[in-house]
Amino acid sequence: MCTYHKIKMKLIKHFVFLTTLLLFTTMTITKIQAQEGKDLFTVCAACHTIGGGKLIGPDLKGVNDRQDEAWLIKFIQNSQALVQAGDEIAVKLFAENNNIPMPPNNLTDDQVRTLLKYIEEFDATKVVASTVQEKPAETVSENIIEPSYLRKADARKYGTTFIIVLILIMLALADLFVTRFIKAKFVHLIVILIAIFIMGEIIVIEAQGIGRQQYYEPEQPIAFSHKIHAGQNKIDCLYCHSTATKSMHAGIPSTQLCMNCHTVVKSGKITGTEEIAKIYKSLETQTPIEWIKVHNVPDHVFFSHAQHVEVGKISCNECHGPVETMDRMMQVSDLSMGWCIDCHRTREVQFTNNFYKDYKKLHEEINSGKRSRVTVDLVGGEDCQKCHY
Amino acid sequence: MKKYWQSLEDYQRIKTNQEYVEKPEPEFSIEGMSEEEKKGKATRRDFLKMLGFTVGGAVIAASCETPVRKAIPFLNQPEEITPGVANYYASTFYDGNDYCSILVKTREGRPIKIEGNDLSTISKGGTSARVQASILNLYDNARFKTPQKDNQEIDWGTLDSEVSSQLKFISEQGKEIVLLTGTIISPSTRKLIEDFKLIYPGTKWITYDAISYHAIRLAHQKQFGAAIIPSYDFSKAKLVVGFNADFLGTWLSPVEFTKQYSAARKLLNGETSMLRHIQYETTMTITGGMADNRTPIKASDEKVTLLNLYNEIAGLLGQTQFTISKPVVEVHKLAVELLENKGESMVLCGSNDEESQLIVNAINYLLGNYGKTIDLVHNVQLKQGNDIEVAALIERMNTGNVGVIIHYNTNPVYNYPNSQKYVDGLTKVDLKISFAESPDETSTVCDYVAPDHNYLESWNDAEPKLGFYSMMQPSIRNIFETRQAQDSLLKWIGSDQSYQDYLEKYWEADLFAKQSKFGTFKAFWNQSVHDGVFISEEKLNSNFAYQEAELKITEPDKDNAKYELFLYEKAGIGSGNFANNPWLQELPDPINMSTWDNYLCVSTLLAEEFGFKTEDVALINGNFEMPVLVQPGLEKNSVAIAVGYGRTTAGKVGDHLGTNIYPYMTITNGLKKLSGSLVSIEKVDGKTYPLALTQSHHTMEGRSLVRETTLEKYLKDPASGNERHAEDAKKNTTLYSKPEFTGFHWGMAINQNSCIGCGNCVISCQAENNVAVIGKQEVRNRRIMHWIRIDRYYSEEAENPEVYHQPVMCQHCDNAPCENVCPVAATPHSSEGLNQMAYNRCIGTRYCMNNCPYRVRRFNWFEYANNKDFDYNMNNDVGKLVLNPDVVVRSRGVVEKCSLCVQRIQEKKLLAKRENRQLMDGEIKTACQASCPADAITFGNLLDPNSAISKINEDPRNYHLLEEVHTLPSVSYMTKIRNKKS
Repeated sequence: MCTYHKIKMKLIKHFVFLTTLLLFTTMTITKIQAQEGKDLFTVCAACHTIGGGKLIGPDLKGVNDRQDEAWLIKFIQNSQALVQAGDEIAVKLFAENNNIPMPPNNLTDDQVRTLLKYIEEFDATKVVASTVQEKPAETVSENIIEPSYLRKADARKYGTTFIIVLILIMLALADLFVTRFIKAKFVHLIVILIAIFIMGEIIVIEAQGIGRQQYYEPEQPIAFSHKIHAGQNKIDCLYCHSTATKSMHAGIPSTQLCMNCHTVVKSGKITGTEEIAKIYKSLETQTPIEWIKVHNVPDHVFFSHAQHVEVGKISCNECHGPVETMDRMMQVSDLSMGWCIDCHRTREVQFTNNFYKDYKKLHEEINSGKRSRVTVDLVGGEDCQKCHY
Repeated sequence: MKKYWQSLEDYQRIKTNQEYVEKPEPEFSIEGMSEEEKKGKATRRDFLKMLGFTVGGAVIAASCETPVRKAIPFLNQPEEITPGVANYYASTFYDGNDYCSILVKTREGRPIKIEGNDLSTISKGGTSARVQASILNLYDNARFKTPQKDNQEIDWGTLDSEVSSQLKFISEQGKEIVLLTGTIISPSTRKLIEDFKLIYPGTKWITYDAISYHAIRLAHQKQFGAAIIPSYDFSKAKLVVGFNADFLGTWLSPVEFTKQYSAARKLLNGETSMLRHIQYETTMTITGGMADNRTPIKASDEKVTLLNLYNEIAGLLGQTQFTISKPVVEVHKLAVELLENKGESMVLCGSNDEESQLIVNAINYLLGNYGKTIDLVHNVQLKQGNDIEVAALIERMNTGNVGVIIHYNTNPVYNYPNSQKYVDGLTKVDLKISFAESPDETSTVCDYVAPDHNYLESWNDAEPKLGFYSMMQPSIRNIFETRQAQDSLLKWIGSDQSYQDYLEKYWEADLFAKQSKFGTFKAFWNQSVHDGVFISEEKLNSNFAYQEAELKITEPDKDNAKYELFLYEKAGIGSGNFANNPWLQELPDPINMSTWDNYLCVSTLLAEEFGFKTEDVALINGNFEMPVLVQPGLEKNSVAIAVGYGRTTAGKVGDHLGTNIYPYMTITNGLKKLSGSLVSIEKVDGKTYPLALTQSHHTMEGRSLVRETTLEKYLKDPASGNERHAEDAKKNTTLYSKPEFTGFHWGMAINQNSCIGCGNCVISCQAENNVAVIGKQEVRNRRIMHWIRIDRYYSEEAENPEVYHQPVMCQHCDNAPCENVCPVAATPHSSEGLNQMAYNRCIGTRYCMNNCPYRVRRFNWFEYANNKDFDYNMNNDVGKLVLNPDVVVRSRGVVEKCSLCVQRIQEKKLLAKRENRQLMDGEIKTACQASCPADAITFGNLLDPNSAISKINEDPRNYHLLEEVHTLPSVSYMTKIRNKKS
């Protein structure tokens, strides 16, 4: 449903082109489909390549020639159903691939066709070229982003200043009443006043930081690296944090989900078998892995991932930073209320969503050209009970 | 102008034309407190000490590290569970008394809320306060955590082997095995009991109800040849006459009746007719309060009145009359009116008295109501208790003939009138077993307890009416080491089958054939589990021929020096099986607004005679003392006491509250009756007992807030009774600019014609919004936390007043007095018209509370969670599982109030956005609205001219509370209309 609308909306956007440049019509549509196919394939890419050889699952190059479409649709939607139903090809494939089940995909028939079309038209050379082009850019961006974004070292520490100032006050008081070294008493007064002012400033700044955990980077029970998974292997965030589009929680993947890949990938690049073995142990002992939660908001804050990821179309990086460069997960944003509100005041709402049709006045203003964009605060983004209830 | 009053003090004031004087409220000052209450209050020095300590503590706390929080995923994520998204499962509520088809809301695998099931044709999406509160029983820490032998823990293996061998031994001896159960409406369980009988041939199955309806079955046996309770259809009736039948509150199937009753009395969308209701009753009930005409009668006069009514009708129809003494109340007019509504009327009687029920049936037969408003075919399966068999059983127990007794869903040691005899009998029984879910008076004297699952952990089915099936499915795995009673029975007959399989097999073998929609059983089963209900297509026996029965009256005992005692069930506590439920204990009684106690209700005249005031103490029968509550509308020479109190082994919440009055039930002709006892009363001078009444809380300073009219006047002028609305609208003006809303403006409307005051919304809100229970003393201190309260007003004479129920929650004023006075802007107005409350911003000045004219704001005087002084559900880990994770648990020192269920608004808005569509009208339902059995509440967007709420706002009956102060509330009310005939 959703993707249908997505295509529809894009079609409307392209309406002007369609009328003037009839010739390019077919091209445009194919382009849209290709884009969607690419999006869909990000999930598949965790285990499959197209022409890049066998990963966890088989190489999908030429898959359209190997099997007929109807069978492929069924298999992609729910491979295990076919295996259990005793489908010959499915059972054989399952055995060939070390009995690793392909998780069911919640796709419509049309979506699978788009996906298959993408696989069919996929030109490996082009992508290789593009990745070759991208690669230096990526390393450059990594180098640039890391120091500027993760200014952990820049986080000012006031502890020493506070103690120095405190000692100054002590000295001033001691001199005032006991040693009487400096005769002019206003000097003491000035020193004390300045010191109190500095201390007050430090207290205010520190107090604001209470409960905030910017640059929090706890050690996890398993040395899981987002850099390897999301960065190098390019696994889509949503593959593991799949509920981010439908729930308030982004979701931590279950051990079983890890096993989708790690039944085959038994040794890591950095830690070898040591860390991956912990997944197997979790399964063996039937104890879930107790991850340390990095991004915490207070209990009285209701934050919904679905609202921001699915509806607001905000990419994960905007709040979580360059996760794909982090070996150990770190909180990049301070997650303070000011930070939330700043974004709500400047960020544009996906106003084409039919939900906002009820905001008739804003629509009128846009249609009459009075308003060019609708920010979140205009649709209640500054209300207390958007987040606190 | 008609004057309304809430308390008897008010009433006296109106009578003597005195000015309203506001009493000092302990909520705001300690002046109004007694010496006892002042104890423990801080002095100024204490305050300073505390201040220093708090500041010091805060500094230390602030310098501590933030605690490490963990995120623990599933090992293997179930496909249907998305953390953060609720799942709903259709199921069935049945506690031995009431039936309700429900949806269970679960979050992360734990049930947190009950909603009504719209697919049910019986409860139609409604619930009762008890159904709402039943979820708390699941998380009751007092529940049995393991099986027991002689009140010591044992394991299931030992219990099974010991019980099985003893059962076998006693059975071989030829001694009687008795299954004493509450009414079982599960067809599978009934079949299982038959199977049990096959293995243990000496088994007798006896059904026992705490509140018996046996007389209705006996009367139908005599007159229609079948011991049934017919089903009643209020939607087909134009006139209903009740005799001590509290059918909206407690009688038979209140949720079903309320749905039908209120639908017939809405007067929305230009309807011009409404159901007329006349009630004759002893004490004031919510049913009597709703009646268009109500007459207080003595319980002992009921039969005379009924037979006179029969005679009048028979006379008008030219049929034989019976000779009797002359009537106490005039019934000729009633007879004429009933005949005018032949076939569209209904006469109901709530007494468990065969003579009364025979007369009622005869009247309904004369009126041609059978087959129209009264349905014998789809008869009610509830209340199958057989008083005569129970009495015979107790005799046999005392003679030592009974070898085994198994209690399932019964507690006769607590609620049998002659419970001592039952206990004596039990000592002569070799093996006593109880299936009790949590300790009760009976289970403690049993040898073995094989604790049953809570109904939310169980598989079962139900057949509340013949041909109407209902499915119960577990929504959580058993929390404690309990086992479903049916599984225990299966085990003891040596079967390896689980009851779940047994149930499925039964449906396959028996019910699958009763439908033609599904070709395969699997499809039929899945759909039934999904829907929760199934209506059989089977042709039922409809052959019921009427036979005349002799109508006679046995004159009841009379003693002019004594008073007739009438026992009744309260809407919340009922028969007392939910006594350990703090939500129900703190639910104010809809009529007298009392919590946490039972008491002796006396009429205003009797109070005058004895010099009784509420909270005085009376000595009853020279035997026991009880606090007195003066109840307007009670028959003048009767006294009334609620059953369900005085439990001794219910758990820490329910124990030793009030007095157990079941011993004062009478048994006449073998039938247990709630009336019939004669008691003497004396005043105990100088002694008082504190009652926690919410009655005079929240008085609205004498301003009349209820608007009402009669049907006659309404038909002439739809705005009748609501003339002030137009006047006030003209006068109103303000200095502030009118608020503007861009997308949504949430509004709510309450139809006072529908609201019966049952309290379902109060508990529903409490469950949804994590509202704290504060206990009797704090209720007395006027600190009750309910976000929605139901104000009750009386009008006319105190001997027989008219009653009004008015639910009041935050009115979400667009010109809110509370918002202007908050020094920290903790309660601003939202862009959608909600009056918001930001708890983390509130510093507890309570200015807003002082400035709110509706008194809907609540202050957290204490930390109610994790506080051993408030040892209710929020003080232990099990009890906390019921909390709604979408709503924060408020801490000490902040103000809270109704948010119009903002979490539900946000949830549905997000859903609409994700589905790329506009919100639909009626899609968002607040907690109070969703399960209201009377459908009295409407919620929606006031900016949408086509929404239901906008249409109601344009209705001439619509008005706001305190319109004259121009607060511009978003909540509105509709004039109450009574179908009165003089």
